[in-house]
Amino acid sequence: MAISNSNWRAEVGAVFEKEWLVERRARTGWITAGLFGFVAVVAVALAGFGIKLTGSLSAGLLWVVWLFAATVALPRAFVAEEELGTANLLRLSARAHSVYWGKALFNLVQMSAIGLLIAVAYIGLVGAEMRDPALFLISVLGGLAALTGTVTFCSVLVAQAAFRGALVGAIALPMLLPLAALGVSSLRVALGNGFPEAGWQAAVGLVGYATLTFASGPYLFAAVWKS
Amino acid sequence: MLFAANLGKRFGKRWIFRNVSFEAGRGEALVVVGHNGVGKSTLLKCLVGLMSPSEGRVTFPGEDARSAIGYASVEQSLYGHLTAREHLGLFARMRGCPARDDELADKVGLREALDRFVGEFSTGMKGRLRIALAVQPEPSLLVLDEPGAGLDEAGRDVVQKVCEEQRARGVLVVATNDPLERRFGDLELELAG
Amino acid sequence: MIRILVAVWVLVAMAAAFLAPDAKGFQSPALARIVFFHLPCAFLATGYLFAGSFYAVKFLKGRSAERDETESARKSVAANELGYLFAVLTMVTGILFSYVQWGTWWQWDPRQTSFLMLLLLYSAYFALRSAHGDPDRREVVASAYAVALVLPAVFLIFVFPRLPQIANVSFHPTQTIQQGQFDRNYWTVLLANFFGLLMLSVPLFRLRIRAEALAHRRFGEATGAAARATITRKS
Repeated sequence: MAISNSNWRAEVGAVFEKEWLVERRARTGWITAGLFGFVAVVAVALAGFGIKLTGSLSAGLLWVVWLFAATVALPRAFVAEEELGTANLLRLSARAHSVYWGKALFNLVQMSAIGLLIAVAYIGLVGAEMRDPALFLISVLGGLAALTGTVTFCSVLVAQAAFRGALVGAIALPMLLPLAALGVSSLRVALGNGFPEAGWQAAVGLVGYATLTFASGPYLFAAVWKS
Repeated sequence: MLFAANLGKRFGKRWIFRNVSFEAGRGEALVVVGHNGVGKSTLLKCLVGLMSPSEGRVTFPGEDARSAIGYASVEQSLYGHLTAREHLGLFARMRGCPARDDELADKVGLREALDRFVGEFSTGMKGRLRIALAVQPEPSLLVLDEPGAGLDEAGRDVVQKVCEEQRARGVLVVATNDPLERRFGDLELELAG
Repeated sequence: MIRILVAVWVLVAMAAAFLAPDAKGFQSPALARIVFFHLPCAFLATGYLFAGSFYAVKFLKGRSAERDETESARKSVAANELGYLFAVLTMVTGILFSYVQWGTWWQWDPRQTSFLMLLLLYSAYFALRSAHGDPDRREVVASAYAVALVLPAVFLIFVFPRLPQIANVSFHPTQTIQQGQFDRNYWTVLLANFFGLLMLSVPLFRLRIRAEALAHRRFGEATGAAARATITRKS
């Protein structure tokens, strides 16, 4: 039989669609992560006792909520495959790079939705001042992309390990700390603290970090996925 | 066509098997037998590339493994939230081959259940879908791990038909302890601890 | 013979560290000599950690080409362990320096913070190793993580402490060291200590690789009987 030429787009699209259908129907992932994020935002807002927070503090707290939301929501993509015993079907059917991109894109959509929801809820509840919406948006999207790239990669490392639920946080969070440092540096400016130049510089760094994460991710993923 | 040279697999301290060598050509069927836990499934996983052997090597010439190798195992889970048709459609796109969902459903006897969620399937129906997925790209190497497990009489007939078709097309490897399935083999490899 | 030379070198360098004249430009000049150990440890930590990632790349590349690169995996873990050891020593000497110069054990100086983050990263590396029971899987996963660590490590060691808004609030005497406020004698002692530690660390590195290889060999011998295959062709 004639096998059609390898078509990356179809392959990545199929992996993405599989994730989308399964997660949409299972719902648990979305609901757990969304609820976790919202509860965390409410907890942070409550802990503030209505005190007006500075831009730096707001940015820092928002990043803390994101970091934990990412380590709760994103590892499902690989951990669920190993736990349910479906990973081998995927290993045999799709090339490693397609699996990475399909899953990473799905995670990016998921993290963007959850991350933006958290950001909007947070700003609404805490009443942070928005000084530079453009910088805010770039900082949020760059930050969420870099978060997604890193946590997606870390989750495949722990998918077959003992205590994977806790381990993914333990290995992803240290990798995310430099990222969080950049993220907070730019977000604090968007929320009214510090110099605009420094904020934009950090935002560019953030986008660069995200790009490097996604550029190296598939190769490292391929080395780990098939073993 | 399929060569295995001095294959060995070790898990931690324990060697599962060592020095396994064979070759099977087009039109030949290799049946792997041996008692439970002797390493039949592990050997099959090494053959299809799901596990890397600790020593030795497997060669299966050229082609894209996604469409050249079909594999079905009782251990293989399916997605409970996808229908059988979605399974066949999505995995065909990943492998770059036609979905042939209706044709395959007819072949394995799942026509009526094609649009039902796999989560609602019985053990036997899942077994049939796994076989449909394995033969979907018309692979030149088909590897079946306990294909008859959980299947009824009609299901076993499906397995037999699929095995015969595969021998006409390429190489067949079956791991089994079922006396009926053992008959498929031209070659028999017995693993003994 | 070489061992004796190394021992003599290290003893002389250490003695020189205590005998060298006080440095200029420090709060407590006499106690600034912690730098003689602190700086070499920081260099060696950085060097070994990057060597660990280098060997991890070599292992993964070799593996995908189906070459036996077990040796690279062993070198990678040995280098990371030594790097971690030197990073801890850098941290300890840095904390001592902080106390004697700035009067406080810990003050969230950007350099201290970035090194703490680096230690956390490598602690995660060892946690990841210990979570995988299958040795083959452990090497692959740990190597991939060691390679992925390069990006945050480079950022933490080279970029973060030099960011203008960060560097300005740091007490770390980078400027004092870089702008030639150390005199020649001071540099000589510092370099002598660096080479001393380097020469000490190389045999440690080799020893660690040999220990790993020996453990592996014993491991291989203790495996007992494996299943054997008999193949028959039916007529």
